[in-house]
Amino acid sequence: MDFSLEYTKEQAEFAKEVRRWLDENAPKDLVSPWDIRKTSPQEWQKRREFARKLGEKGWLYPRFPRQYGGGGLDVAHTFVVNEEIANRNLGPPPHYDSGGLAAPAILNCATEEQKKRFLPSMLKGEATTWQLFTEPDAGTDEANQQTSALRHVREKDHFVINGGKIFVGSIYGPPTQFLLLTKSDFEAPRHGNLAMFLAPANLPGITIQPLDLFPSGIFAQVGSGPGRKNSVFFDDVKIHESYLIGGDHDGWKVADATLTVEHGGGERVPRIPRNPVVEKFFAQCQNNPNVIKRLQENPELLHSVVDVYIGAQIERLWTLRNSGQPIRGGGPQLSMYGKMYGARLATVMASVLGPYAFADDEWALDDGIFETGERNAVCFAPGGTPEALKIVISRGLGIGR
Amino acid sequence: MSLDLQLTESEEMLRKTALDFIQRDAPKEVIQALQETDTGCSEELWRKATDIGWLGVIIPEMYGGTENPLTTAGVLFETLGLGPLPGPFFSSGILGSLIVLEAGTEEQKQRILPAVAAGEQILTLALTEPEYSWEPGAVQTTAESKNGDFVLNGVKLFTIDAQAATHFIVVARTGKKTVPGKGLSLFLVDSKSDGVSVRRMPGFFAGRNCEVKLDSVKVARSAMLGNKGEGWPALRQAINKSIPVLCAYKVGGCQAVLEMALEYSRIRVQFGQPVGRFQRVQDMIIEMFNHLEAARWTTYESLWKLDTQRPATESVHLAKVVSSEAYWQVCTLAHREFSGVGYAKDHPLSFHTRASRYLYNYLGDPSYHRQQIARLLTGC
Repeated sequence: MDFSLEYTKEQAEFAKEVRRWLDENAPKDLVSPWDIRKTSPQEWQKRREFARKLGEKGWLYPRFPRQYGGGGLDVAHTFVVNEEIANRNLGPPPHYDSGGLAAPAILNCATEEQKKRFLPSMLKGEATTWQLFTEPDAGTDEANQQTSALRHVREKDHFVINGGKIFVGSIYGPPTQFLLLTKSDFEAPRHGNLAMFLAPANLPGITIQPLDLFPSGIFAQVGSGPGRKNSVFFDDVKIHESYLIGGDHDGWKVADATLTVEHGGGERVPRIPRNPVVEKFFAQCQNNPNVIKRLQENPELLHSVVDVYIGAQIERLWTLRNSGQPIRGGGPQLSMYGKMYGARLATVMASVLGPYAFADDEWALDDGIFETGERNAVCFAPGGTPEALKIVISRGLGIGR
Repeated sequence: MSLDLQLTESEEMLRKTALDFIQRDAPKEVIQALQETDTGCSEELWRKATDIGWLGVIIPEMYGGTENPLTTAGVLFETLGLGPLPGPFFSSGILGSLIVLEAGTEEQKQRILPAVAAGEQILTLALTEPEYSWEPGAVQTTAESKNGDFVLNGVKLFTIDAQAATHFIVVARTGKKTVPGKGLSLFLVDSKSDGVSVRRMPGFFAGRNCEVKLDSVKVARSAMLGNKGEGWPALRQAINKSIPVLCAYKVGGCQAVLEMALEYSRIRVQFGQPVGRFQRVQDMIIEMFNHLEAARWTTYESLWKLDTQRPATESVHLAKVVSSEAYWQVCTLAHREFSGVGYAKDHPLSFHTRASRYLYNYLGDPSYHRQQIARLLTGC
């Protein structure tokens, strides 16, 4: 075995090339608030501009085939690109909402004509995509879709979509398009009754309504994440069948392709977890005299900090495992662990840092990262709650439904 | 043996009155709006609560209160915690009043407490500072003697309800820091005094925390509660008596969250059945139920010990550990059950999550109180 993440000679050369390119093209004055909701529209435009440059180079989606606008790189080189971008604190690419979830589904399930039509604009950073799966009655029970997509009565090459999605998208709306899960058949059995569309977001009859939620993403997403979620309503939205991905009864299969990626599997190349909350927390434990004093005076706090360290190591090793030799159930296992770890860390931060963990003004430590972390730590939903992930893990272990 | 764990008839009546108040005058829309205000309270609600006598619930009759035992106050605050109703009810009616009772001279009690009971004076404790601690050694705010009066300088950070208070009880150093707890005095400072500036701290979970700056604030000698340099023991005593009432508020919070979690588990249908049928959801709800009942009985036993003049210190620390952790964990578990809907700022679960966070450290976080228990239980 070799746990080393040092670059080989050839990778080091490639890293140099990436660094040179980043020197020339990466924005130097990017402001990255821990709560992404504080990003100004101008800052967001800078990020988009950078993503388009990455896309041009093929490095927005380094693993994807070159013929569709990807980088055609292998796992190791993709890793190098991701690391170099992460080293500059530019936020994880793609900064493109759910594009990273939708693109693999298109690659795996769409026709050749659709791949040529849809992928280049996504991979080059021109199009933004939201994943629209969750509905009021389809949360953990994702297959229970109620948004209907039925063939148009007269124009048989069109569908008419009606219904509503909730807890979707991000603060950067409206996007170019939606990866939209619908129910296409009210008679067919469960899972065989769904259809997936890559629907333009500007079709008549679509309304986007922002939701006022207190977290800005999950714990692992402090500094990135959606920032905000929305409801999206469809009122007699007419769409051509050429936007249908897979057959009109294949929606579940396509959804499964994106969920596999979302749960940490598929072709996603994991980044080494650099949870800034954890890093900043340890820096506080090492450098903040008040925190050091509290730790010295209270052995319980000291032990809780060690537990945070142990958890971080397990999370790091499982991430390496998932990128090297994925095991059954390993993706959702890591995802669940991250959420449970975040919840534990939230209590430790509140005890060790005191109410500074909740401060969001000039008294805040490290520009308010802990305040964002505390709010995000109760956000279990995106990608499935721990309870939903347990279903997926059990399935992976061969004991679930 | 006369074991009786029921509420008395008058406690039941008080509970019912408080419940009616919460349901009629402070429904979820009102509580959400109050959370966003600087004071956490409206004049109308404050007047109503004062008229019922809640601000004087533990103040002796001779000082204008209704002189109830702490257990009765616990019953009241458990019910207010169902909301959770914000506002300086605890800060002024319980902690502030107890500090004046423990530390004040007879003249001060006669002057201050009737006004507190009538809701005209609103007190809050200004103890903690940038070096956050509930121990006396961390106090750096100074009170310098000048022509018989005092001049206060310092920053009081994470002061709960400071925007609502008319008066702060400021803990300041009047003597050398040789022995912890010695040389600290308590001052009743008018929040409108020159040199006082108050700001509510932003942050969703910062809740009712405020920053209070004292910049050469002049206070008269008569504003010092009790004797110079002897404030700490009385303050400690008042905090210890107050803690279980705060715990009762958290018990109410746990109760409300458990009830909404139970209700949701019955009405939320996924995979063709109410989610409450799933053992994973049942497990979480049972864990919430355990937290609630642990918090409830540690809290009420400590109230009983205080009311019956039994040794209660250990029991008070126990209640604070258990109830603070219970409220935090119950809310976290509920978020796992409610998922998306629970993150809405207008969902009552988010009110409780907020309260469970900003009250977690208030009057000492669980690790602090665990350490106090350790000292009492062992030779360490």
